[in-house]
Amino acid sequence: MNAINNQTLQLIFGDVTLGVSGEDFHYIFSYQTGGLESLSVAGKEWLYRTPKPTFWRATTDNDRGNGFSYKSGMWLGADLFIKCSNVVVAVDGKKVEKPIAPTNNKYTGKEHAESVSLCFTYITNTVPAAEVEVTYTVQVDGTIEVKVHYYGKEGLPSLPVFGMRFIMPTKAVGYTYEGLSGETYPDRMAGGVPGTYHIEGLPVTPYMVPQDCNVHMATKKLTVTRATTLNNADTDKTTFSLQFEALGEPFTFSCIPYTAEELENATHHEELPLPRRTVVSILGKVRGVGGIDSWGADVMPQYQIDATQDISYAFSIKRVLI
Amino acid sequence: MNAKMTWLDDPEVFGVNKLAAHSDHLFYPSKEEMLKKESSLMQSLNGVWQFAYANNAKERPIDFYKPEYDASGFGSIEVPSHIELNHHDKIHYINTMYPWEGHIYRRPVKEDTPEGIGLFSEASYNPVGAYRTTFDLAPGLRNKPITICFEGVEQAMYVWLNGAFIGYGEDSFTPSEFDLTPFIKEQGNVLCVEVHKRSCAAFLEDQDFFRFFGIFRNVTLYAKPELHVEDFYVKPELAEDQRSGSFGVEMKLSGKVVKGTVKIYLRDQKGKELLAAQMPASEKVIFAPVTLEDITPWSHETPYLYEFLIEVYNEANVLVELVPYLVGFRRIEIKNNMMLLNGKRLRLLGVNRHEWSAKTGRVITKEEMVWDIGCMLRNGINAVRTSHYPNQIPWYTLCDEAGLYVMAEVNMETHGSWQKMGAVEPSWNLPGSDKKWLAAVLDRAKTNFEVFKNHPSILFWSLGNESYAEENIAAMHDYYKAVDCSRLVHYEGVHHNRAYEDRISDVESRMYARPAEIIAYLENQPKKPFILCEYMHDMGNSLGGMKDYMELFDRFEMYQGGFIWDFIDQGLMVNDEVTGAQVIRYGGDFDDRPSDYEFSGNGIVFATREEKPAMQEVKYYYERYK
Repeated sequence: MNAINNQTLQLIFGDVTLGVSGEDFHYIFSYQTGGLESLSVAGKEWLYRTPKPTFWRATTDNDRGNGFSYKSGMWLGADLFIKCSNVVVAVDGKKVEKPIAPTNNKYTGKEHAESVSLCFTYITNTVPAAEVEVTYTVQVDGTIEVKVHYYGKEGLPSLPVFGMRFIMPTKAVGYTYEGLSGETYPDRMAGGVPGTYHIEGLPVTPYMVPQDCNVHMATKKLTVTRATTLNNADTDKTTFSLQFEALGEPFTFSCIPYTAEELENATHHEELPLPRRTVVSILGKVRGVGGIDSWGADVMPQYQIDATQDISYAFSIKRVLI
Repeated sequence: MNAKMTWLDDPEVFGVNKLAAHSDHLFYPSKEEMLKKESSLMQSLNGVWQFAYANNAKERPIDFYKPEYDASGFGSIEVPSHIELNHHDKIHYINTMYPWEGHIYRRPVKEDTPEGIGLFSEASYNPVGAYRTTFDLAPGLRNKPITICFEGVEQAMYVWLNGAFIGYGEDSFTPSEFDLTPFIKEQGNVLCVEVHKRSCAAFLEDQDFFRFFGIFRNVTLYAKPELHVEDFYVKPELAEDQRSGSFGVEMKLSGKVVKGTVKIYLRDQKGKELLAAQMPASEKVIFAPVTLEDITPWSHETPYLYEFLIEVYNEANVLVELVPYLVGFRRIEIKNNMMLLNGKRLRLLGVNRHEWSAKTGRVITKEEMVWDIGCMLRNGINAVRTSHYPNQIPWYTLCDEAGLYVMAEVNMETHGSWQKMGAVEPSWNLPGSDKKWLAAVLDRAKTNFEVFKNHPSILFWSLGNESYAEENIAAMHDYYKAVDCSRLVHYEGVHHNRAYEDRISDVESRMYARPAEIIAYLENQPKKPFILCEYMHDMGNSLGGMKDYMELFDRFEMYQGGFIWDFIDQGLMVNDEVTGAQVIRYGGDFDDRPSDYEFSGNGIVFATREEKPAMQEVKYYYERYK
């Protein structure tokens, strides 16, 4: 795409969604599904379902041994079932009245803006409930800034993980990231060598019992590459990519074909579904794996996630120009 | 003599007609064969044998050992292999519980409870494998005394040759050797072995692993030349100056007439002769220590080995046997409560290792051993604990050559006898102080020593794993102290019975102690240097927080490292019953109950011998703390 300095975003104020489009991208935010429902670049869709905050990691053997999953199990429910309670839309930095009917009757389909942002509020089903705000800001060049904020709540058990989970429609052919070598965790990252690494396919570390895996700490950039879509009219097999970039502090990510729940359910790898999607988790906090023993010793306190404290981080999503 | 099934029940019978354990040397009739490393005095009996399975001793084919027995109903089995992996008897993984938990009530025979006859021999479930093979003697073995060596048979075996009872053996992980000479023929020998899954030895072999049985290591015939070195014990000593030292050797010879000459040579890697000496042959030959200068010490960094050679000449001065062996000079000692190797503080950057192959269980190849060594070396590992039994013989030589420090463990674990559901409850613990069990455990200690005593890589004799601590383990400790002053003795279990702490173990050894607990020990007038014989339990996705352990090296000189638990996941590769694909299975996947399920997988490498992601963390810290 040729950058045009004075180009603006086109806004489509639908009855259920807000469409945002530029020269070769088109995004749809949904009030109904509670988030970003479509992220299409050059005609290729990147989202299978609306991304939501994620709170669960598939129980590791160490988690199981020290009873962590029992103690923190309510986060599994939060991960599976979350409610979007509110959406706030701002155009060019100014909050607008929620543009659903009849408010949106005033629009024409010819609205343009330099930027548009949507802040989704989520409420967990934990007791007590916790709140998360996810703010997407779309810029003229199509870059989406994502700011994620978890509001700490007294009385909630330690978190397994916190971040945003993106499920892509088809299985990626691979990914490239700028960060640390290998699979790293907060308490197991000293051996990670900084660099840029390409991973072919979507490997799932073959721990005997499927469990949380393929986590990469301290990442500046992640590029996911796919070759296929679910679009029946799209027979093009040329690869295409999407990039996640840290804003401020580096993020942590994993990129595998399964959700935490799919991993959690399997006692062996052969019980996992056929890999057909790409599950990218862009994480603000990750619990350590521990290692003192596997029958009681907890992860060291500094590598646990205190759910009573706020967690805040940000990243951008960018299309990759070929 | 006739074989008695009740030996299975009696802790005081752990071997019948077994030859004395001896050094693990190979021997050659000529220089040519020695250079080719192919001895015509050896004959492997590995291969396909006839085989029949029975659920218990009563149902076994009792007469199968008779040469005239019609074995046409027998199937076949590969030797070596585990019987369970041949689809006889259920595969079973269990950790600390005894394998009969929930199936059979058992308490061991003891001094005050001598009942127990039939505990194993009359059990309704105690499978038996009947093995049968026929062989001709290879030309190099004819007209000579013949012994047979079973390097590993789990868990009790009876041997017959040509219808004659040869012997009985327990102790699954050490060689059992028998004399076949009176009954051997040049052709058409019928060798029969009856292997029982469990005997009272099971009480001593409660290791955390898949519970297999069968002939799972090599079976080899050896012919002895007219004069033969039965055993030798080299004494390479490195003095405090770390440069000079001495070399002596004691040996035992056999032969119809033990007369002739024994010559010994010691050469460095460039072929330079440091020592040449000779003595008249006799049943016991002692070469007194000779002082040597400019020795290159053996260590992890420089695993320098010297070539030691024994030549045996008969009365007519004809060379009849050559015994080559690699020896190393190193000095392990405790000074000011710190372990020193060659004068320097020893840092153990170790790993525990079970012998394991995803396809064949504890039947592993030399190639797999070589891979394991290479993996350890490239990841900064400098020490290995043979958890929890003596390993295959070549492993120790590979460690000598690679410079890996070995903690050589006796085949003993009685975990289920004193710890139940995590709680220490030693009301019927073994081996305890019970006289009926003393000889068996001393024999296990002795065999471990006698077979491996010449390996420089062994720095520690370990009295076994998780077997509590009372008089019998103290006796094992005393045994090692009496026979070997060139190594330290290790035992962790004394931690659970402090009454013995001054009598057992040169080191304070713990497993899975938290960093704060280690600090508490080291800050409170510690009596012994501290090591972790097991730490960093790498089950699944784990090995977090290694830093807190490694930094102890910087804070405390008496913190001397540890052994990660463990090297390789014990997972079995099988064909998926749904898709046919090759998949990894673990405890409980074979309808085996009770089980400890995935607790069998704690490796820093997967069962398929691919490194786990955590390995880069091991490498990072171990290379920094060398």
